[in-house]
Amino acid sequence: MSTDPTVSGEPGHDPVLAADDPVTDTVVNPGAAEPDPVIDTRNTALHDGVNRCPKCGSTEIQLRVSTQMLICLFCRHEWAEESIDPTISGDGTLDDLSGTTIASGASDITSDEGMASFKCGGCGAEVVVNTSESMSSRCHWCRHVLTVNEQMPNGAVPDAVLPFKVTRDQAVKHISDFAGSRRLFADRTFRKEFTPGNVVGVYLPYMVVDSRATGTVAGKGEIETRRYTRKHGETETTYYDADVYQVERNVTFTVDDLTIESATSRTSDVRVNTNNVINTILPFDTKNAVRWNANYLVGYTSERRDQDVSTMVPVLEDQLLSITRSQVEKSIKKFDRGVRWENEKIDVHGTRWVSMYLPVWLYSYYHEHKGRPMVHYIAVNGRTGETMGSVPVSHGRLLMAALTTGTVLEGIALAIIGATL
Amino acid sequence: MSILATLLDPATLQLGLDVLRAAEYDSYDTDDDGGILLLLALGPAGAGLVYWSLYRYYRNTDKSHDFERETTIEAQPVTGGERKVGDRNGTTSSSIDNANGRAHRKRVNRFS
Ligand SMILES: [Zn+2]
Ligand SMILES: [Zn+2]
Repeated sequence: MSTDPTVSGEPGHDPVLAADDPVTDTVVNPGAAEPDPVIDTRNTALHDGVNRCPKCGSTEIQLRVSTQMLICLFCRHEWAEESIDPTISGDGTLDDLSGTTIASGASDITSDEGMASFKCGGCGAEVVVNTSESMSSRCHWCRHVLTVNEQMPNGAVPDAVLPFKVTRDQAVKHISDFAGSRRLFADRTFRKEFTPGNVVGVYLPYMVVDSRATGTVAGKGEIETRRYTRKHGETETTYYDADVYQVERNVTFTVDDLTIESATSRTSDVRVNTNNVINTILPFDTKNAVRWNANYLVGYTSERRDQDVSTMVPVLEDQLLSITRSQVEKSIKKFDRGVRWENEKIDVHGTRWVSMYLPVWLYSYYHEHKGRPMVHYIAVNGRTGETMGSVPVSHGRLLMAALTTGTVLEGIALAIIGATL
Repeated sequence: MSILATLLDPATLQLGLDVLRAAEYDSYDTDDDGGILLLLALGPAGAGLVYWSLYRYYRNTDKSHDFERETTIEAQPVTGGERKVGDRNGTTSSSIDNANGRAHRKRVNRFS
C-alpha cells in the first residue's frame, strides 16, 4: 500500500478516488504559507452512513470482543477494518520525521455541533444522529442502523479505534479484585454500595504522537573529593569537600506512539478528581488500532475529543523534556553528589498526530467527604486488563490502624529504653 | 482500643516525658542521647508511615503513566560536556542542593 502523506487544504472536501483506496488526492493548499501535511484516514467506503455486512447487507453489526472483529448479528459473518498503522507510518522511519503531520481525524475542531444528518440508504428518510450521545442511530421507518463514519469538525470521529479485547466479565473480575484487596480500610458506604456490575465500556479520545526531537539540559554537578569527621564536644559532624562542575547534556531521540489524552474534562488534579488513575493504565497496544468504523462503538459510550493539536503541543513538549531528562540520567552517574539541572530546552524536529479512541472499562463511584464531592474511578485497560483505581478510605479506620501501630512501636521503644537505664 | 486510650492518657504521656528526662540525665556522660530520641520517634514515625502507605494503596494519588520507560524511545548517544567551575569545601550536606537529576518531571527554566 502506498502511503505518502498527502497535502490537503480543505479538510471537509470529498475525496476523488476509489472508495476502497485509502490513498488520496494531492491538492496543495494555495492559501496557507506553510501547509501542514495531512494524512487522510477517512474510511470512504462507509461514507453514506449505511454500514452493511459485506455478506448479507444487514446493518445489525457490532464488535465481538473475544475476536475483536465486527460481527453481523444476522448471518454471523465476522470481519475487521484494516490496520491504520501502514497509512500513518508510511515507508519512512521515525528518523525521517520532520515538520508537523496531522492525520485528518486529528484536524482542528471548528464546531461543537454534534448533530449529523443522513439520508437513510434503506428508505430515503432523513435520520439525525446526535454524536454527543451515540455514533449510530436506527432509522425509525425502516429499522436500518445508520452510523457516523464521516469525519466531522467536532472531534467525534477519530482516525482510528482500538477495539475492546477485555470482556465485560473480565473487567468486572478485575474491578472486584482491585476493590476486594482494599476492603478493610474502605469507606463504609462504598463497601455497601460497591457494585462492579455497573462498569461501563467507554472509548476515550487520545492523541497518539510520533516525534523526533533533541533535548538539551544544563546545570551543576558535584563530585565528592574528601569526607572527614570532626568532634565538637560530644557530637561528631561529617564534612564534605566537592568539585563543582558546569554540566551539559544533549540527546536526540524518536518517540513512537506517545499517548496523550485529548479531552479537557479529564484534566488530572488529584485534589478534586481521580482522573490520574485512568492514565495510569496506559500504555495501549496502539499499533493494533484499525480504521474507523462506528460499529466498533455499538454498545459502548465514547467521549469526544475537544483539544486541538496546537493546544496539546505544550503537553507534548513537557513529556519530551521528561524523556530527555530520563535519557541523560545514566550519563551523570559520575557526579556522585548529584546534579541540579537549571536550564532545559527541547527542539522538536518533527511530529505526527493521530487521534484514536482507546478502550477503557470504567467503574465510577460518587463520594462526598466532609461536603467535598469526588468521583472515584476504577479503570481497566480494555486491551491489557491493567487495572488502577481509587477507593475512598475511612479516615477513622486509617487513623486507628496508624495509632495502634504507633503505640505498639512506642511501647517497644520505651521497653528498650527502660531496660537500658 | 485500650492501647489507644492508654497512649492518649495524660498520665502515660507524662510517664513518657519522665522516662525521657531520666534517660537524658542518666546518659549524661554516654553518647546514646541520639539513640534514645530516635527510639522515641519510632512510634510517631511508624504511625505516619502506616497512615500514608495505606492511604496511597487505596487512593493511588501518586500514580501516573510511566511514559519515559513504557513508550518506545530510540535515542542516539548522549553528548555534552562538563568543566570544573569551583569547589565546595567543608559542607555538612551529603549531596548537591536541590538535586533533580532523577526528578524527570520537575521542570526547570526553559531556554531557547
Ligand atoms: Zn451479515
Ligand atoms: Zn430508513
